[in-house]
Formats: sequence, C-alpha cells, structure tokens
Amino acid sequence: MSGRRVSDRGRIDRSRSISFRFDGQAYSGYAGDTLASALLANGITLFGRSFKYHRPRGVLTAGIDEPNALVTVIRDGMREANIPATQLEIYDGLVAESQNRFPSLAFDIGAVNQLAGPVFSAGFYYKTFMGPVIGPLRGTRFWMFCEWFIRRAAGLGRADHARDAARYQRMNAHCDVLVVGSGPAGLAAARAAANAGKNVILAELDPVAGGSAKWSGETIDGKPAAEWAAAQAEALAEMDNVRLLTRTHVWGYYDGNTLAALERVGDHTLTATPGEPRHRHWVIRAGTVVLTTGAFERPIVFPGNDRPGVMLAGAAQRYAAEFGVLPGRRIALFTNNDSAYAAAAELSAAGAEIAAIVDTRQVISAGVRDLAARAGGELLLGQAVSATKGGKALTGVTVQRLDPVTGTASGEKRTVAADCLAMSGGWSPAIHLASQAGAAPKWNDDLQAFLPPDPAQPWLGAGAFAGDTNTADALRSGRNAGARAAGGRASRSQPAKVEAPKLDPFPAPVFEIRPTEGSSGKALVDHQLDVTAEDVRLAHREGFHSVEHLKRYTTLGMATDQGKTSNVPGLAIMANARGISIPEAGTTRFRPPFAPVSLGSLAAERFGDVSPDRLTPMHDWHVDHGAEMMPAGLWHRPRIYGLPGETLEQAYVREAKTVREGVGMVDVSTLGKIAVKGPDAAEFLDRVYTNKFSTLPVGKARYGLMLREDGLVLDDGTTWRLGENDFLMTTTTAAAGKVMQHLECLLDVHWPDLKVALTSVSDQWAGAAISGPDARRVLERAVQGTRVDNETLPFMGIVYGEVDGAPVTICRLSFSGELAYEVYCGAGHGTHVWEALLAAGEPFGILPYGMEALGTLRIEKGHVTGAEIDGRVTARDLYLDWMLSKKKPFVGSAMMDREGLVDENRIRLVGIISLDGLPLGGGAHIVEANSHAEPNESIGHITAFCYSPVLAKYIGLALVKGGKARHGQRAFIADPLRKRYGPVEIVSHHFFDPEGSRMHG
Amino acid sequence: MVERESPLGPAYRPGRHGNVAEAAGVTLSETRPGSIVEVVSWPGSEKAALAAIKSATGLALPNMPGAGVSKKDKAGYGFAPRRWLIIDGREGVEQQLQKAVSDKIGAVNDLSHGRTAIRVSGPRAEWVLSKLFAVDFSAEAFPVSNGCSTAHHEIFAQIQRTGKNQFDLIVFCSFARAFWTTLCHSAEEVGYEVS
Repeated sequence: MSGRRVSDRGRIDRSRSISFRFDGQAYSGYAGDTLASALLANGITLFGRSFKYHRPRGVLTAGIDEPNALVTVIRDGMREANIPATQLEIYDGLVAESQNRFPSLAFDIGAVNQLAGPVFSAGFYYKTFMGPVIGPLRGTRFWMFCEWFIRRAAGLGRADHARDAARYQRMNAHCDVLVVGSGPAGLAAARAAANAGKNVILAELDPVAGGSAKWSGETIDGKPAAEWAAAQAEALAEMDNVRLLTRTHVWGYYDGNTLAALERVGDHTLTATPGEPRHRHWVIRAGTVVLTTGAFERPIVFPGNDRPGVMLAGAAQRYAAEFGVLPGRRIALFTNNDSAYAAAAELSAAGAEIAAIVDTRQVISAGVRDLAARAGGELLLGQAVSATKGGKALTGVTVQRLDPVTGTASGEKRTVAADCLAMSGGWSPAIHLASQAGAAPKWNDDLQAFLPPDPAQPWLGAGAFAGDTNTADALRSGRNAGARAAGGRASRSQPAKVEAPKLDPFPAPVFEIRPTEGSSGKALVDHQLDVTAEDVRLAHREGFHSVEHLKRYTTLGMATDQGKTSNVPGLAIMANARGISIPEAGTTRFRPPFAPVSLGSLAAERFGDVSPDRLTPMHDWHVDHGAEMMPAGLWHRPRIYGLPGETLEQAYVREAKTVREGVGMVDVSTLGKIAVKGPDAAEFLDRVYTNKFSTLPVGKARYGLMLREDGLVLDDGTTWRLGENDFLMTTTTAAAGKVMQHLECLLDVHWPDLKVALTSVSDQWAGAAISGPDARRVLERAVQGTRVDNETLPFMGIVYGEVDGAPVTICRLSFSGELAYEVYCGAGHGTHVWEALLAAGEPFGILPYGMEALGTLRIEKGHVTGAEIDGRVTARDLYLDWMLSKKKPFVGSAMMDREGLVDENRIRLVGIISLDGLPLGGGAHIVEANSHAEPNESIGHITAFCYSPVLAKYIGLALVKGGKARHGQRAFIADPLRKRYGPVEIVSHHFFDPEGSRMHG
Repeated sequence: MVERESPLGPAYRPGRHGNVAEAAGVTLSETRPGSIVEVVSWPGSEKAALAAIKSATGLALPNMPGAGVSKKDKAGYGFAPRRWLIIDGREGVEQQLQKAVSDKIGAVNDLSHGRTAIRVSGPRAEWVLSKLFAVDFSAEAFPVSNGCSTAHHEIFAQIQRTGKNQFDLIVFCSFARAFWTTLCHSAEEVGYEVS
C-alpha cells in the first residue's frame, strides 16, 4: 500500500486487510474501504474514461453523487456495469473493471474522440443522423443504420446477457415515522420520534450511520462527532420500536406516503447465505416522513475541471477523515465558500501539504482566515483556477485574477503545483424526494441553492436538506422534526452542544470560470455525459432555452447520477446566457429513482416465476400420463396426450375421432364457477343474461349469454338451478374473473337492494366432461345412487350421485356436439373420480383428450369461445340473436340495437374450408383476390382452425363481412406473416350435425 | 369417505430447508381443516347471521371489520363487509350453518374443497409474510384472532392471526402449490421447517 494512507484517521478496520482486483491487478485495502478509497490509498487516481470523449477520469466525489468513477463488478461470471466506486464496499475476492476503454485504461483508442471534440457537440446525433429525403436511408432509416455502430462505440458499461444468479426480495413495511438519512439531523429526528413511542424506520444509504458526523471533525456533546453518531445509532438500533436500515437508499416518494427503498443486503460480501437476497426492495408506508437527506457539494465549472485529481473539497475531506486516505500529497483548494477551509484544515492535519487556497471572494471572515492559517499554504483571494495541468493525472493548476462581475479570469497566469485540486462551488440540498412528493423547489439567493418545496404530503424536513448550514442547527431542526412527526411539539430545551469552526454559510454566486483569452480546454458541467459549458451555450444559441429542452438536447443531468453534481451549474450557465436569474430559468423536477435501482429488486420474489401456475386437481395425473401441457391464462391444461412418434395433429385427430366414434373425457375444472344465491338470484340472472332464467326449473341447466353495458358480448356459459334460490353459474375459463367483477359491480353499485350473494366456487369443484356415443354407458358403470337414462337425465338435466364413494353432480350438456355429461365432484376428490370414470370407460376404449381435440370438436360443431367473443362482436354477429329476449330488459339491451351494431355488413360468424388441402392459420385475413402483392382489403379473419376428422379437411371459423350472405362463396386466405395464401370456401359454421341429433340422442 | 387429496403434491416436502445455520425462523404446514365455509348476510341481517354462526359452530364473532375468534380447532373472522369465513376441524359444518342461516338472513357456501389452509408460525412469521403481502402484520395493527383479505399478485388470500407468532392463510386450491412454492422460497432466508 502506498503512503497515501494515514495512520491516525478513519473508521476503517486496520486489523482486517482485504484483497481485491481492479483491471486484473491485485490490490489490498481495509474493511470499511470503498473501492474508491482503497484505490486512492494505492495511489490510483485514474478510474475510467468518459462517455463521449474518452477523457481520463478520476473520482469526483465520495458518495452516491459520483459521475466519473463508474466500474463494472464481475461476480459469479456476471458483469454489472456502472457501479460508483465510491459506493462499492470492498470485500475479499471483489473483481472490478474500469469502463469505456479499449484496450486498457491507460491506453484507450477511443481517446481519439477528444481530437474530434468540436464535432461531438450538443445535438450531435440530431444534426448528423438526419437521413436524406429519398432513397433507402431516407429519414430515420439512416439513424437506424448507424445506430448499431454508434451503440458499440459510445456508452458507459456493457450490459451482460448472462443469467443473474442472485436473489432479490421485496419487503413491505409500515411505520409511524420514516427518517431518510442518518446524519446529525436524521439521528436527532429518529431519536425524538422513537422516544415518543412511535414505530420508526431510519434509512441510511451508507454502510454506517452518521452522515457528515463521520468526517466533519466536529465535536458533539463533548465527543468527536463520529463517536457521538455511532453511539446514537447503536442506541437507536437497540430500541424495539426502531428499525435501522443501513446500505439503503430511499429512491421513490409516491402517493399515500408510500416510499420505495433499495437495501444492498449482499453487495459487500462475496457469497450470500442460503436464501439471502442480494437486494431487498422495501415498500414503506409511513405515517410521516422526515427528510434529512443532507446536501450535495457542487463543483465549479472551469477548463480542465475533469482531470483525474480534481475532486470536491468535501470528498477530499471525507477520504482523509473517514477512510484515512490522502487524495493527494500536495493539495490545492478552489472555493467560493467557507466549507472548503474546513476541508483544508482536515487534509493538512492528516498530513497533506496544502499548496494554496484559491477563493473567488475578495473578502473572507476572520474564522476562515484562522482555518487557512492552520492549513498552511498560500491564500489567494479574488482569484480563480482557470486551467489544470497534467496528462492522466493532475500536476498543477493555473490561477488568474477573477472579475467578480463577469466571472472571467484574466491577467497574469500563475501555476500552482499540486497533485490534487479540491473544489467547492457551494452546496445543493438533496431535495429529490421532496420534489417527487410535491411542488417545484424554491430558490434561495443567500444559499445560492434550491430549497425544498412546501409539502403536499405529510413530510417534514430538517438539517442541510432544509437549508441548515451548521450542525447545531441541524441537530435542533432534526429533533424538532422528529418530535412533530411523532405528534408532539418542538422542544425548547437545548440540543446537543456542538463545537465547530464558525463559518459564513453563504457562498459567492460563482458557478463558472471563463478565461478571457484563448481556448484552454473543455469546462465540464456534466462529467458523466461529457456536457460542457460550451454545449449549454450552444443549446442556448440554437434556441433550446427551456431547461427541459436543454436537458434533452445536451443530455445534461441524465444517466446514472441524474445530474446530482451538474444540475445547478448547468442551470446557472443557461441563466447567464439568457441574462436572467436562476429561478427564472427554472429547474428540472426530480423523478424516481433518486439513484439507480436493480431491475431484479423490482421483480423481487417473482424472479424466476413470472406468474403463478394455476393447476387443476388432476394436474399431476395429466403430467404422469404423458400430457403435453399448455397455458390457458394462468391455468395449465393438457394440449394432447400424444403417443410416441405422433405429431400434434395426429394426436388431436386421434383423440377427436375417439370422441366422435366412442367416448373421450376432458378435464373441465378450469371453467369459471360462481355460486349465485339468495331470494333475488333468479331476478338477478334475468337482468344479467340476455335470456330468462327465472323460468328454469330446479334441477335443470340453461345456456346463457351475457352482454356488456355497451351491447357487445361479454361471455357465455351454462347456469344450473340447484335450488329455488341457488344457482351455479359457469363461465368460460378465460372470462371467469371478468364476469365475477362485472356481476359484483352490478350488485354493489347498481342493484344493492337485491338479496344476492356471489362467491367464486371455481376451485371447489373438479370437472370432467365425458363425450361420445358411449358416454352414457360409461356413466351407467361408474355412477351409483342415480340413474342416468334419458328420462332421469335428459339434455340439460342435473342429477346427484356417487362415483366410487365420492359425491358427484352430473349435468348433461355438450360442447363437443356428442352425447355428453359434465361430472363435478369436490376438488379434493378430483383425481379419484377421474380415475374411476376412466376405469369404467375402459371397456369402451375411453381416452382422455386435450385442448386441441376439444377445439376441433367445437369448431366442427360451430360453438363459439373466447376466440370469437373477443370484445368486439355482438350476439347477432355470432347468430345468437335467438337468445336476445324481447320480453325483458337486460344489461346491454339498451345499447345493442345501435346503428353500427345491427349493420348486416359487420364481420359475422362463418365456417371456412381450405380448398388447397393445406392448414389454415388463426388470425389470417380473408380476402377476395388471389394476389399476394395486392390481396385487396381484408373482409375478415380466421378465429380458429383445425383438421376435421369427420370432414377430412382443414376447416376453420371466421368472422367475415356479411356472414351468412357469403355462404358458398370462394375467397382466399392471406397470411403474410406466415406466408400462407390459398383458396377457401365460406360455408355455414355448423359443419357437423347441425340439427344436434347426436347430443340430444 | 374418500380422502381429500392435497393440492400441494410434490411441493410439500417435510423437513428443514433453506438457511440451516440457525433455528428455523418459521414452520410451514398445511392444516387441512374439515370445513372451510363462507357465510354471507344480507344488509341489516349481520347480527342475525352472527347469532346463526354462534348457534351452529359456537363461535361468537364480534361484529367488527376483520374481527374474529380463534380457538384450538376452529376459527372465524369477518373478511369483507357482511362476509365471514368459518374454519373448523370437523367435516360437514356447512350443513349445520346451512340450517342456521336461512334465506332471510343470508347464504352459505362450502369451500372446503376449494380452499387450502396454510399455517405460518415461528419467530420470523411476520418477516416472511411481509415479503408477500402489503399488510401491517405487527401485533398492534393485526392482533390475534383478527383476519383480513389481501392478495399476493394474482393469488387472493385470507389471513388470520391465530397466535402471537402464527398466521393461518386460506388460498384458492388451484393456486395453492404455486403459493406454497413462493412461500417456501421466501422463507429460505430465515430457514424453515415443513411439518
């Protein structure tokens, strides 16, 4: 380790050495180091290359605001890009790489972009990639052509395609008070709220609570501030009503005081314990929020301000005080405010040589003069840094006299040798969450900063976030905010005593230094996206005055750091160019997330299972018996029970044939089933169905059709009358939830006077449909306790009995067009009854059949399903007008006769026969001309198709303009996507047994 | 009587799972009650319905949203306006309720086959359930015997606190295996025992 490490400072654990690799080379650091502090301690100042110009970059900050030092972490073979080295805790075995360089960080081919710098100015893409008006690359096609190359040349880290093996979890939390940020104000707020007995969550983005107390060097309550903070945090952590979440950044503030936070549970360890998530996504519902998020230091914009070695003064102070690392041996400071003097004093005390303190102000207070004297080095007042010297590392800075009115540096150039420049352009409160939760921030001229808006939700602010400029004020406002959040009053007692240098809290309004003569290099505003002060002025010259346009034109404030260091300087430069004040120029409002969030954490426990599997009681039987399963919404249903060597088509044709010629059985447990009970149940059904149900006798079922309020078809199904006031409604599998919502809405909102109860009993019953000429014979063998002959169990009749000891309800109804029965039993008896029915059917060669055969049978029969009831069809379109009662009103009856809905030329249900002997395609168009190039307009589309074993042809159902009127006509299928064209005949949708003699037999 | 088959199937694996470094944070089990019955009352008949529930089951449910009673072998709670869920170790409680709750009072639905009862108990029960539901499971907000209706994405769930560190969850049986799997997944971090 180099001599950059000092022995008497920092909260790192010097007894625990940590080995890690950066760019292939082994380094060591201490437990408690970040990658940034550990590399600085090793004398590394070059961390990466910039986004556009591939300029060498060091570390600018020490925290979450870092724009430059982004690295890729390689873990379990997976790469994660754009992690700020300032946030990455080192651990044994950590492997990290620098980004945006090839072949190496020191020698980067892309750095040639720097020479072409003027070309890559703001709006480069917009200006360069406008295609010609005509030709193959017209308009945006030219951009689409170039994009592939550009995406490879530009950009930050590279995304990985490897599977992320890490676990992520979501956690819901509720609390009375959420305190965001654990600096002195946050600790005081949490303590006050917790002492008042409230449930408190204190979230801190760093691994250790304390915020600025960890590096301020001040004294609180007679103790070093870092010790005071540690003791406070420990006391809080021991309280039952406090949850202290470290390594957690609160990133979103949503309505209802709901906040989102990301806890980095496992990013600081090589391996996770079993089941431990890498990240935990917290959704916190808080009574009151106390925002104590502190403030971000601002850089000053001047030529060469991005050279490695130039960093924020507060960051330099933090590296020395918190990590025991000197960011340079000979350090110059450049400031427009007093806070940098405290940094100078700390750096000097830690052993650095202070080369000079350059202050833009002519006059400074006596207090900071003392600090400057303690720090040593020259004090250059009324001057500014106008350039930096060095290659990939800083060697010195150029200092010139500053004209305070114009902000220009001129006159004699002095070079100050330094390997680190610590700058401070003032402080911007971290108002991101308050901005998300409320209105526009408010500009404060004294602080030269935006302060939080008035709360629109229950939150309170304290500390530097709220504009406090010293620790004593922060402790007081924090404590008072905590007390008020707990429903109490602000305390009048003295808060903890703070010993700290007395500083002038107000900075000089200096944001940018512009040399008067010559071009002395780029002055970076947004370090992460290489946006320079000149880019901002160019945007202004080209008319992009609005701050929103400025952002989108120059990319200022975008990317992973979201402009934490660049927003205010960028705005100040635009305001200056326009000759208006900063608040007049406006500000961008902050959106979530405050800092990057892993996508895995948002997916959380659903990682690996996108949706839950919904299984019928007989699921395992199907799988065990060779069923190929297919999704039907969330359900898993058997598609075919294929034999070895069989194609899908061969299998379903065999299954369908078995039903037509003998008997087959299909699992229909997925049908929606709603218990409709109560004295007004029959009246309710009369209102919701197009046909009457009050006339249905007990023990019978009836096919029903439901419309939406707008007169279009909602769903169909049979409803069974089990008792005078007791109905069992069945719906299609797909529409079960939709129908339930529709009915509940009607009852709750429109007809609360009806005494009707609706309960989903879909899962209560397992269902098996037995179809085919031999179906009755199977039941005769299987069912005890009831007869199933035509008299006892006529079409649409219901009987109760037992199958192998399990109670069953049997209804005779048919979807296949064959003699068919639906046998329902308790779900827990599903497999038992299924197997008993199969055993009873064995002499008849019974076979289970899947969805493909089910579809084939219903297409042959012309029965509709969700494929036809697609939300756009009317009852008439499906030739179900016979079901529209004229004797009673029903939901949809008022709207179903609208002009557009009764037009004979609407697309209506027909059958389609393939004339070329080839399969049809679901969704394919029906057209009138047999030309691939000009097929003419579509007259409809195919909704379902199959190979029909009874017709020995490919057939389908379709919705075609004019419907019946086209029966017997020739048309063509046009399916450009699947390149399927060919002749078809339009016929009746009743392909098979139109009289229904088979199912009534 | 034919025995009811559990919908959990091969997902039900008794024994210790997940993090085994410390004692199991939760114990997961399927309680398989004999009866799960829903009682609905018409508006204005709430008291009559509660009296009927009491006469049929002995459970004196308070007439308060979410309030319930939890005893060793039976429990009940209000899970929605005018709706109560009754869980009883015995089979056939539906018929008793059916007799007690006349058409004038309300309606009764047997859900014994259609719902699966899962018990989560142990010191980390609140922590594990907080991963899945946006419900405040703290004892102050969710006292013993209280119940609620909630959902884990598509999966509707009714939850009753049946002990200081014990919650009984009722889910649709078609979703039971998926929910159980997710629950086990969520409990790996604290270590769990399936019993």
